[in-house]
Amino acid sequence: MSSAALTPARAPRARARVLLAVAPGALLTLLALTGPLFAPRPMDEPVTAPYAPPGTAALLGGDQLGRDVLSRMLHGGSALIGSALAVAVTVTAVAAVLGCFAVLSPTVGRLVERGADIAILLPPVLGMMLLALAWPGGGRFAVMAAALALGVPYAVRVVASAAAPVAASGFVEAAAAGGERLWHLALREVLPNLRATVLALFGLRFVAAVYVISMAGFLQLGPRPPAADWALMIRENAPGALLNPWAVVAPSLAIGLLAVSVNLAADALTPAARRAAAGT
Amino acid sequence: MAGPLSGTATERTEAATPPVAAPAPRRAAAAALGAGVVLAKRALMLAVLLAAVFAAVELLPGDAASATSDRGESAADAAARRRLLGLDRPVWERFLDWMTALPTGDLGTSARGEHVTDLLSAPFPNTLLLGGTAFAATLATALALGCWAALRPGGPVDRIVNVTSGITLALPEFVVSVGLLLPLSLWTGWLPAVTLTAPDGAPASWTMLVMPVLALTVPQAGWNARIVRGALADQAGAPHVSAARLDGLSPRRVLLRHALPGAWPAIATGAATSTGMLLGGAVVVETLFNYPGLGTVLAGAVSDRDTPVIAGVVACTGAVISLVLLCADVIRARTLGARP
Repeated sequence: MSSAALTPARAPRARARVLLAVAPGALLTLLALTGPLFAPRPMDEPVTAPYAPPGTAALLGGDQLGRDVLSRMLHGGSALIGSALAVAVTVTAVAAVLGCFAVLSPTVGRLVERGADIAILLPPVLGMMLLALAWPGGGRFAVMAAALALGVPYAVRVVASAAAPVAASGFVEAAAAGGERLWHLALREVLPNLRATVLALFGLRFVAAVYVISMAGFLQLGPRPPAADWALMIRENAPGALLNPWAVVAPSLAIGLLAVSVNLAADALTPAARRAAAGT
Repeated sequence: MAGPLSGTATERTEAATPPVAAPAPRRAAAAALGAGVVLAKRALMLAVLLAAVFAAVELLPGDAASATSDRGESAADAAARRRLLGLDRPVWERFLDWMTALPTGDLGTSARGEHVTDLLSAPFPNTLLLGGTAFAATLATALALGCWAALRPGGPVDRIVNVTSGITLALPEFVVSVGLLLPLSLWTGWLPAVTLTAPDGAPASWTMLVMPVLALTVPQAGWNARIVRGALADQAGAPHVSAARLDGLSPRRVLLRHALPGAWPAIATGAATSTGMLLGGAVVVETLFNYPGLGTVLAGAVSDRDTPVIAGVVACTGAVISLVLLCADVIRARTLGARP
């Protein structure tokens, strides 16, 4: 934050660069969300032979039931990106609030610290398997709940480490001495000074959510088979990878591109806050 | 998502307060006490995690007796088995039993009546082999790339390492696996696509390890290369490193002898947080390559609602991660102790 404020001359160029880095991710997200509108074929009906190679009937060939790979691709991204976005927004919001409370109240701070220490012992995939399969019928919501529970402890820690110097600054102490209540201090005095950190955190949480949710799709924990989901498509079509490689390559490319472009965007959002906040 | 993408390098300073200038025996005693406290803390965290896992599995609908029941089994049979498995007792009582048996190496009995220790004894070493090899490969690659990039800050190598690590670190392991599987196995036939198991339960040939290890290493190496590069950049500004450079030592010598030692704590912390990602990723990669590891056991155990097996897997991976975190703590304490 402070570095951006100290160098006003370079701000426009830096902003243009950030926009340029964010554009691919935003574009891909938009394309995936509107994808179902462009699908040339029905998503769930066989239109060609199983694992048919690309042809006039299906531009990217058929999948294991002869359904159109291209149409399924266009349908498969919105749910993945939508739930990843929802998880990222919720984790960031919860972490922003909790992080501010954590630096103002030693009890909350200790709880957060211990929680993150314990959560690090549970690999995210294990935690997700536990929650998703143990909540039968939970489907996508179980996966989202797992992604939330696994993401919050770390995110709170990042916010708390960025909020610590703010909480120790004069104006917060003055407000505290003035008898303001805890929630007022956290939400009105501390949080508004953490915009850069929260923005960067949102980018990172989006990357993380794409990872966790696509992992769940691959393990067949979230969306059930008739659904078109990029990660699920990879798993389903892997046996026929030699007959129609596109049925596997196309969804892999889509997830890879999504992960990379979202990460580049998060990276571009980070630098200003990186030194102060994430400590990386 | 645990490690890499979540601001892992946040310093934890709890274990890094070595006593300064005490007499040698007292210092040794204090160090031993400190080590004991740190160990106890890690063990306690693991216990809390296991309690949470027990509670989570209990709170969810259905139980092991009904999940493993055979077709046509009567309700009375299921109830009898529930009693046999001790599922009619309160959860905290079973948790206490399980925890007190843990120090003797007894991980309890699964819902199908097998000893969990027997159930995990073959797959766990396989997963450790996979994860351990990937960990070594990750550390070696990250150190080599990070140091190489740090030799010429802003140079072409630095920029290439920065961009490629940014691309690879976000890729899920199964996407990397597909990217390897198609060219290296299905199109050329160079490496086997499926892991075959030898009679002793281990993979039949080392070639079957190559692709799973690569799939785990690529994203983690990208992440750790960034940490190494960042830690070296921080060290480059330190007074003793500038002094060494001004003395006219070669850049390589300055990097390896003066900057790298101070960068170890950050590198160790980063690598330690990669352990969870490596073990978790291993579970996923195992399903794709049909590797005989914890992944298969776990998938079966979760659908059976088999609490002791799940808790056993979590205990094993948690213990490994605790151990690696402990090593990182030791490295940090030693480095900070040497240069207070």
